[in-house]
Amino acid sequence: MNPNHIAPTPKMHLDFGTVFKNTKQYIDQYNKKQPKLTDRLNANHRATAELIIRLYAKQINKSAIEISIAERLPGLKTYNPSLASCKGCTVRTIINHKQRLLQSGFLIEDIHRGADGVELKINPVVLNKLKISTQVDDKTQQITPLASFFKGRVKNLHPLVHVQQEHLNNNSPVDKLITPQQPEKKEKEVFVSSATGTPQEHDKNKEESAIFTPKDQTKVNGVERAFLLQLVRQFWGYSKKSLYPSQVFTEAENTEILNHIWRSVFQRFKLEGNKKQWENYQEMLLKRMDMVARWLKRNPKHWIPAPHLYFNENNIKNGFDKTWSWYVKQEHQKKEIRNQLLIQAVDHEWKQHKKGQGKHKFKTRFELYRLQCKRLSKYKDKQLLNAYEQCLHRNLFTL
Amino acid sequence: MNSSNSSLTKCIIWFYDGNIRTFYSFDKSHAKAKPNKALGIRRLTKMINQTFKGKYETAIIYGNLGNGVEIAKYKHGVRVL
Repeated sequence: MNPNHIAPTPKMHLDFGTVFKNTKQYIDQYNKKQPKLTDRLNANHRATAELIIRLYAKQINKSAIEISIAERLPGLKTYNPSLASCKGCTVRTIINHKQRLLQSGFLIEDIHRGADGVELKINPVVLNKLKISTQVDDKTQQITPLASFFKGRVKNLHPLVHVQQEHLNNNSPVDKLITPQQPEKKEKEVFVSSATGTPQEHDKNKEESAIFTPKDQTKVNGVERAFLLQLVRQFWGYSKKSLYPSQVFTEAENTEILNHIWRSVFQRFKLEGNKKQWENYQEMLLKRMDMVARWLKRNPKHWIPAPHLYFNENNIKNGFDKTWSWYVKQEHQKKEIRNQLLIQAVDHEWKQHKKGQGKHKFKTRFELYRLQCKRLSKYKDKQLLNAYEQCLHRNLFTL
Repeated sequence: MNSSNSSLTKCIIWFYDGNIRTFYSFDKSHAKAKPNKALGIRRLTKMINQTFKGKYETAIIYGNLGNGVEIAKYKHGVRVL
């Protein structure tokens, strides 16, 4: 043993757990003695008391006072405004709470030292169990009982005293005081970070990475953005030719109009659909464009506004969106005409069959009926089937 | 701020009477709006086609900031560029 080595003098150390426990007990006992509710210390007073005791314990532990002078410990030296900011209340509240704590006997004395702040002397009953520590900075001695208690897994307890700490790495065994029981692995499976030297266990990272991975910017709902933008340009090119053939547009105007078309006609690409469906949609748009062009040619009084207004999403009065109802009407009429033609053909077949002519003359009525049913059901149109029923009534049940 | 420094486009008009005037575009739809180049061009075009209709020989719209690229050109009321 080195003779020159001076044994460390024992230092004062206040155990936070004990002190907090004592505080709670003291206040509980005091409250029990008070018959009036208003005389009791409420949760706010309790919080102030805990704040004071926490700061006091921190101050004592940091100051490293020798055990020999433990009997004449200094009080908590602080300022009222700093206590107020710690607790998040006003100075007046702190003063009121201190008065209540003095009444209860938790604080013995409140000494005002002017510019040096205040010194709060705390009841020694609260600090009765003092621990002796030889090394104040030796954290391992404080953690060891906890570590043994949790048997290999230290819970990440909220710190009683706010001390700036490094971000805890729960995956790292550093400072956990546990010997990780890892199964024997091959050398190739263990990855050691070159920066920190910490062994990394990639096989345990089964969950998805929390790192934000941005969406694929080249695709919109599974369809390539470039393809959709091409559709927009194609649409504008077609409408320029058919609706505004004599006008010349500058680059800035073209860009603005394309933006309007993207917003209103293509609804910012928010519609869900695959490439084929988008192509069909484009076809429908071009049909609508043709309808507008025909409408303009029909009468010289017909007009449409300038393209930046015509394709504007806010233009409800005379925008391109109005053509949707035209298109629906047109499609409806087309269907009706198709149905009429089909029914006419069926009618004709029945008449020929009655006369014993035509290509179905050798078939029975049932066979012809089945054939027509099969043909018409392909269209999946209820109106057509209803019309067919009426046609049957006309042909079969009339004498 | 002077419009000659802030506007995105400008228009120079050569009148029949020998005058040459420069007009700077007003590119905002309202005071705090983002400048819109297309809007400024439209307004200048409207001025050329309506306000000075039949009064000018040549009218050219240039980009004001940067190299001053020629954007549109009118000759005797007809757009040629």
